[in-house]
Amino acid sequence: MTHATGTRVQTVIGDPVSEKPPVTPAKLEEIFKDIQSDLRYDHELNGCLNCGICTATCPAAHYYDFSPREIVQLLWTENLEGIYDAMQEKIWACAQCYTCAARCPFGNSPGGLVMLMRETAIKHGMQSAKNVLRPFSRVMLKLISTGNQLSPDMINREQFADWGPNISKVDAPLKILRKAIPMPTLNTTATAWEVNLKTSVELYTIWEETGVLKQLETVDENLFDVISDIMDEKREDWKDFLADQEDAKDE
Amino acid sequence: MDTKTQGKERFTGHGAEWRDAKLSSEDARIATGWVELKVDKRSMLTTKERVEDVRDVMWQLEKDGEIVVHRISEEHHPVMVKTLYGWDKKIPTTRLWHHKSCGQCGNIPGYPASLLWLMNRLNVEYLDETDQTSCTAWNYHGSGIGNLESLAAVFLRNFHQAYVAARAQGLPDAYFYPLVHCGTSFGNYKEVRGYLLHSAKLRESVKKILGKLGRLVDGKLLIPEEVVHYSEWLHVVRDRIAATREIDCSGIRATIHPACHVYKMVPEDAIYDDTINGGNRLAVSTGIMQALGAQVIDYSTWYDCCGFGFRHIISEREFTRSFAIDRKIRVAVEEAHADVMIGHDTGCITTLDKNQWISKSGARPVELAVLADCQFAALACGAHPYKIVQSHWHASPTETLMEKLGIDWQAKKAEFVAYLDQVKAGKQENLYDPRKMITSGPGFIPIARAQ
Amino acid sequence: MSKPILIVGGGPSGLAAAQALAGLGQRAIIVEKESRLGGAPIISGYAKLVPSGEWAKDAIGGMVSRVERDPLVTVHKGCTVAEFAGDPGDFRATLSDGAKVSAGAAILCTGFTHFDSVNKPEWGFGTFQDVVTTTQIEQMISSGKGVRCPSDGRKPQRVAILLCVGSRDRQIGREWCSKICCTVSCNIAMEIREELPDCHVYIYYMDIRTFGLYETKYYWTSQEEYKVKYIKARIAEVTSNGEKLIVKGEDTLVKRPITIPFDMVVHAIGMDPNVDNKSIAKTFGIALQEQGFIGKGSAYSALGETSRAGVFVAGAATGPETIDDSIAQGRAAATTAVAVANRADTVAA
Repeated sequence: MTHATGTRVQTVIGDPVSEKPPVTPAKLEEIFKDIQSDLRYDHELNGCLNCGICTATCPAAHYYDFSPREIVQLLWTENLEGIYDAMQEKIWACAQCYTCAARCPFGNSPGGLVMLMRETAIKHGMQSAKNVLRPFSRVMLKLISTGNQLSPDMINREQFADWGPNISKVDAPLKILRKAIPMPTLNTTATAWEVNLKTSVELYTIWEETGVLKQLETVDENLFDVISDIMDEKREDWKDFLADQEDAKDE
Repeated sequence: MDTKTQGKERFTGHGAEWRDAKLSSEDARIATGWVELKVDKRSMLTTKERVEDVRDVMWQLEKDGEIVVHRISEEHHPVMVKTLYGWDKKIPTTRLWHHKSCGQCGNIPGYPASLLWLMNRLNVEYLDETDQTSCTAWNYHGSGIGNLESLAAVFLRNFHQAYVAARAQGLPDAYFYPLVHCGTSFGNYKEVRGYLLHSAKLRESVKKILGKLGRLVDGKLLIPEEVVHYSEWLHVVRDRIAATREIDCSGIRATIHPACHVYKMVPEDAIYDDTINGGNRLAVSTGIMQALGAQVIDYSTWYDCCGFGFRHIISEREFTRSFAIDRKIRVAVEEAHADVMIGHDTGCITTLDKNQWISKSGARPVELAVLADCQFAALACGAHPYKIVQSHWHASPTETLMEKLGIDWQAKKAEFVAYLDQVKAGKQENLYDPRKMITSGPGFIPIARAQ
Repeated sequence: MSKPILIVGGGPSGLAAAQALAGLGQRAIIVEKESRLGGAPIISGYAKLVPSGEWAKDAIGGMVSRVERDPLVTVHKGCTVAEFAGDPGDFRATLSDGAKVSAGAAILCTGFTHFDSVNKPEWGFGTFQDVVTTTQIEQMISSGKGVRCPSDGRKPQRVAILLCVGSRDRQIGREWCSKICCTVSCNIAMEIREELPDCHVYIYYMDIRTFGLYETKYYWTSQEEYKVKYIKARIAEVTSNGEKLIVKGEDTLVKRPITIPFDMVVHAIGMDPNVDNKSIAKTFGIALQEQGFIGKGSAYSALGETSRAGVFVAGAATGPETIDDSIAQGRAAATTAVAVANRADTVAA
């Protein structure tokens, strides 16, 4: 990889009034290299005309100090400090709608680049990533352990008070209301649909092999421990099931 | 051109007060006379020489022995449609494997239930089973936990299961073809498929993983011929559905909210139809609503995102609700005087439906019934508003819409409450034989195909 | 005397080539598919040309009459070349009306096709009547009717001109710049301001390419004298609230999203390769370049060569081109063609 050019400080200069230790140029380069080495990078960043069409359509640009054009410019000009700064908060403003990608005359995907930056922020255990993702932990727990992202029992008045006083306009226990859905796979409360043990175990293999569990461990160690326990348990159940199948065959 | 005399009326295309401008033939000729050649709009000039069709790469890879393509065959009764640049896309209409949506199944169960109910109406053969994982894209886009490899592995795992699912009923592989319910899944799968087809490196690493799961076909990755969204199915069968319509929808003013991940992710793979919106806007959802006789009214923020944000809906809803209320709901109500906002994606329906109540805390509350296209279609075709369409889960005023449709929702609600007793006694009604929902693993009971 | 030279297309480059040949005492045959000569400036009804400021019907019309009066030029209108064979000095062509033509060389002056904005539906053309193209504005001006909103005929108070419609855009596979639209748009903006002094005109751009001396005459003058506004923002979508067209962009220089109402939106459309280029290439046995325009040879050896000896090309058939440069290329190709036709004749004799 060629050396990054652009506005790069030659010596370590931190913020003179901040207590935080400055980030070394080597670290900044490592972070940029991680983003740049993803196989999607060259597909998603081809150049930039500074036309602003991405920011024009961006919903996040209306409400946050966020601009997809700025993100693309920082990456394209290899502005290492700017990239690092943007990874602290800005990249989490993106609503991932991909209108920017649909409009860009260069065929860039600023939304996609934001995802690469998010993955890298997690990989480097940035505190900002951990902070932002803390409220997301329930979803991650549900997803990684069951393969469903949102379950009926997660939508409740405590977590979603602003959605109104009634989760259902018919007052009845959740369990009954779910059984009253005429799709048998949906007669569940703890998962969105009934998940087979086999499916869950397959998913665990995918999480392990692709490094997702490692990501999780970096972001939230406690959550990782909880999930590991669940995974071990389910894998034991699966092993038992397979053993029973073998026995049944022999009989 | 002297039509200024009609007061404040404006002739501006699809707006709320649209009228035909009735140009004289001479004026019309001057306005459009520069088009020297009448070319078919959609085949127009953005041919595969100008923009690559990733499916060409796919067929070549199969020829080279790298992958196996899961084909849509004649048995799936496919219908051909045109996409953005006028290219063809094949939409299967029967023998479908339901790829469910987390958010729909968790929050808006009437959404998939309405779809399956419509399929029953049309005698479509399908399978809804438990051996399906979430596409994981909502979590990915929201949190960044995940990567291209995990998304690709999940994609191929689920689509492989669709391929082999019929074995449980003693039927051959490729019997069912997967139909994706969620717009996020659809966009995600389209994008991931593109990367799989372009990157040998990605294919290699995903192949190892799928090999471990025993999910290769002839030792190769299985790639679907098309990635199909349920709204595309609904679009191609819309006339058949409209033929079973029971309720008059002509008085309904509907606004369409098209989902970002459906038409902006891999935009060349979305349906555009010259007979719908003049081929200038996405065809799905508008097509079925017009087929049912409803009026589809344009509004100035048609292209805007709903504000779902993937992450924001969970943990930063000030953004989501501001966007949803100010840029979508309020505009639909004030500009288009809409009776209902129709969508075709989980996240959009959830966002637009659930984030209205909070507007009561401000100075200008606003509300509008929000439904998925298939929910509206089911209602119009006589589906029970609570047993099938499950309207009780909607926070938005679906009751107002039902009143406009002439549905006695209070009576229906009472019927449903009474039905709950039946449910408590374990005697719920189902849209299909529950024994089919487990195809392997714990709880699997092989049943011979009934016919 | 050598055989005549076949000129395919009677637009500015073809007319210039014919005039150059006639000036050298060389016969020329023009084959034009339309029922009149003049090319895009006449057929599409352009108004005042850049940079001369002359009306198209006078400037190009003048070229047409000079050529039509010239005894050395034969004109076939309303037909195309159906078959073409032979070698330099000895080509045989059959026209679509059955006529047979013998020629020593051929010059393709087949021009371009205007980009059709239906390819960018999100910018409102085809959905809203008041979204028009620069060509339609030219027609409004040249017809004498003036710039009016097609929907109800009123005079617009606010007009937006969107640059690079169909140019510099990977989404639709048109990654070239159409060269002249920046200058034409500045010109049109000034013409609108002149006709409608109460109308505000805004140009939304990615870059302004009023190259060479056009900079002062168009970019500076339009701002200083005509108060045309330039905003560095590529527009994302054009929608309507029922009364006005709504245009959405990011003002990239002040870094803020903008949503602005307009009475009329004008697309500065680009120059696509001629929609017939595939069949032209087949008929004449020449190669197209990768974007679909007719491929040219080296500028340093002999201007206007194609991939086939004896067949030459000039003007917008090779890529987006200005009228002035098309005229120059037509004359240059004529010179090269004459040399080839004569030399071949001499050799054959």
